[in-house]
Amino acid sequence: MPGAPAVHGCCDRCTGAAGSAAAAKVARRRLLKAAVFPSHDDSVTSAGTSSQADSSFDSVPQDPHVGPGRAGFADTGQLPRAVSGTVLDVSPQVLVLGDAGDEQRFTLTPDAVAWRGAQLEPTALRQGDHAVVRLHPSSRQTADRIWANIGRVTGIITERSGSRIVVDEGATRSPRVVAIQPRAAGRIQVRFPTLEPGYLIDVIGLRRDGELDGMIPATSQPAYPVSTMPQPPLVSGRIPDSIGGSATWHEPGDEPPGVLGVCYPALDPETNCAEDAASGQTHGYARMPYLAIGSVLRVKNECTGLDCMLPVTGCAPVARLFNDRCVICGTSPRGRIADLTMASFVALGGELDRSCFNATITIGE
Amino acid sequence: MLFNAIREVQLPLIAALLLAGCGAKLARALRVGSADAALGPTALFPMRMRRPLAIVMCAIELGLGVGLILTAGPIRSMAAADSIRLVTGVMFLVATSALIELRSARPDVGCGCFGDFSTAPVSGRTLARSAFLAVAALSTISLPAMNKSMLNTNKVGVLATLAAELIILGALSPELGEGLIRLGYSAPCELRATSAERTLAALRRSKQWRRRVGMITDPAPIDMWRELCWRYAVFPASVEDRRTEVVFAIFLAQRHPTVHAALVDAGTGQPLPWPAPPPRTGLLRRRPNLPIAAPSVPVHVGSAPADVPLSSDL
Repeated sequence: MPGAPAVHGCCDRCTGAAGSAAAAKVARRRLLKAAVFPSHDDSVTSAGTSSQADSSFDSVPQDPHVGPGRAGFADTGQLPRAVSGTVLDVSPQVLVLGDAGDEQRFTLTPDAVAWRGAQLEPTALRQGDHAVVRLHPSSRQTADRIWANIGRVTGIITERSGSRIVVDEGATRSPRVVAIQPRAAGRIQVRFPTLEPGYLIDVIGLRRDGELDGMIPATSQPAYPVSTMPQPPLVSGRIPDSIGGSATWHEPGDEPPGVLGVCYPALDPETNCAEDAASGQTHGYARMPYLAIGSVLRVKNECTGLDCMLPVTGCAPVARLFNDRCVICGTSPRGRIADLTMASFVALGGELDRSCFNATITIGE
Repeated sequence: MLFNAIREVQLPLIAALLLAGCGAKLARALRVGSADAALGPTALFPMRMRRPLAIVMCAIELGLGVGLILTAGPIRSMAAADSIRLVTGVMFLVATSALIELRSARPDVGCGCFGDFSTAPVSGRTLARSAFLAVAALSTISLPAMNKSMLNTNKVGVLATLAAELIILGALSPELGEGLIRLGYSAPCELRATSAERTLAALRRSKQWRRRVGMITDPAPIDMWRELCWRYAVFPASVEDRRTEVVFAIFLAQRHPTVHAALVDAGTGQPLPWPAPPPRTGLLRRRPNLPIAAPSVPVHVGSAPADVPLSSDL
């Protein structure tokens, strides 16, 4: 039986080692960038310091993406909000979640739906289930969607023994074990015909005892093994401010629960983390502008119309290896451009059991 | 007359495309060291069948390309020539159907028609090209053997048809744009990998660095990151015994990068005014009548705040 190999060390750019430290770095970098490129508003309100940022030329290119200083992050008051916790009690009208000693009660809407491997009534949830709850936009105390014990494994297959597969999710995450459930094996094998080492896999299922019971194929398997990934298409000319593609979600790992952020698939390779997938691939399938932890993106869900500003909080070393398309509402023009935290994905109206939504990101608005 | 000219052009054109397709697939297989990772309709088949299918497809293209050329001229049996042309037409029809299936089943996969050049997902143009080539190949059935006299009698018509068809095929080929990009490619700065060492070297050659280096306490940056075309480097600094940081933003240009700088408080990160530059008493004392040259950077003297280093720039 395959067991999960030793965990890789976490590097400077991963979000995991210390979520608060990463958040502090995000905030600090935004502050420092705003100091160099003060926004117009800043210069008006603080005329005395408007020339604190100095340049060596008069007609120098100004940063076209002056934004971090004035970019407002997601206004969670305007968005459906995600809450996670352990189910303590559930009735047809009320859901009680417990989290670190706190008890939270949510009223369930009449059409509230739950998911635990399949759609079910909220009353079918069990005590002890770990639930991600989407709150109704109109009320912080009303829940309309619940996902129980949902998990996702996205990575490169490193080992297989029967229906159990060890998956490498990149240098910054622990290897995961997926157990393909017999009743889901056919469905998964249609979309992932090659469950062999070196190939990519992306499966949604139920978390159980540190493993994932694979139930839903989250995409179609790329035709290539990671070692022979095609060269990304070349891009010339001006890079557009907005890029359309697929937005996926990932399990929080050691990120702080409920963090709003996005893992971006093209972090600057000079900082030795994101491009450090176990496969040794130094490039992703799509060429995208280089960014860093702390950069700000506006992510828009093209299927729901919801959008918000999110900081780049981590690397997406595996998402960049996929060249799949999201087909939730039309076919996305390119593959994965953003790997959202669960909270961000739900806040933008994504359905966790549907794996992705068509998205547009705008850099440094 | 024109119809004959159109038919005559098809054979060399289709043969050239088939041979180019086979060559590009071979080049790709040699580059990645395997035919398993082939693009195109082979992605519809189980893994174990992809390699033989890729090899068969390449062999068919090679065989038909060579066959079309060999049977274009005077040969004993026109039936052999027509057979090859018919098979070519049928092959393109099958390819069109396979691409339609591929487009619906795997919208992310390229057609692989020309190896690495055909990585873009199958589009309507790709389908139209395949169907167009099928019609072109079938139109050559029963075309008499080509000879020099035929070309001489209708030279203008053949050349005009050839040019028109090349334009049509170019318009239907997503690979053309990719090829042109590769010929004269220069990545936009947002996508260009630039080493941190190179950026720091450029920074240290800049006027901004020379102007600020006096207050920097450690030449190694304490933080450095990149966004789009800019790389930011933060250095610890000390101004009048206050812990500060100097933040540089370096534009990732090949030569003479633009550099911006700001002074911030080390604790809060809030911007601070640059300290007034020390009076350059030594120089002025030695040369009291030195005319003040116009600075290279236009500055608004009347409203210049203390941070504009007028004296140090002279």
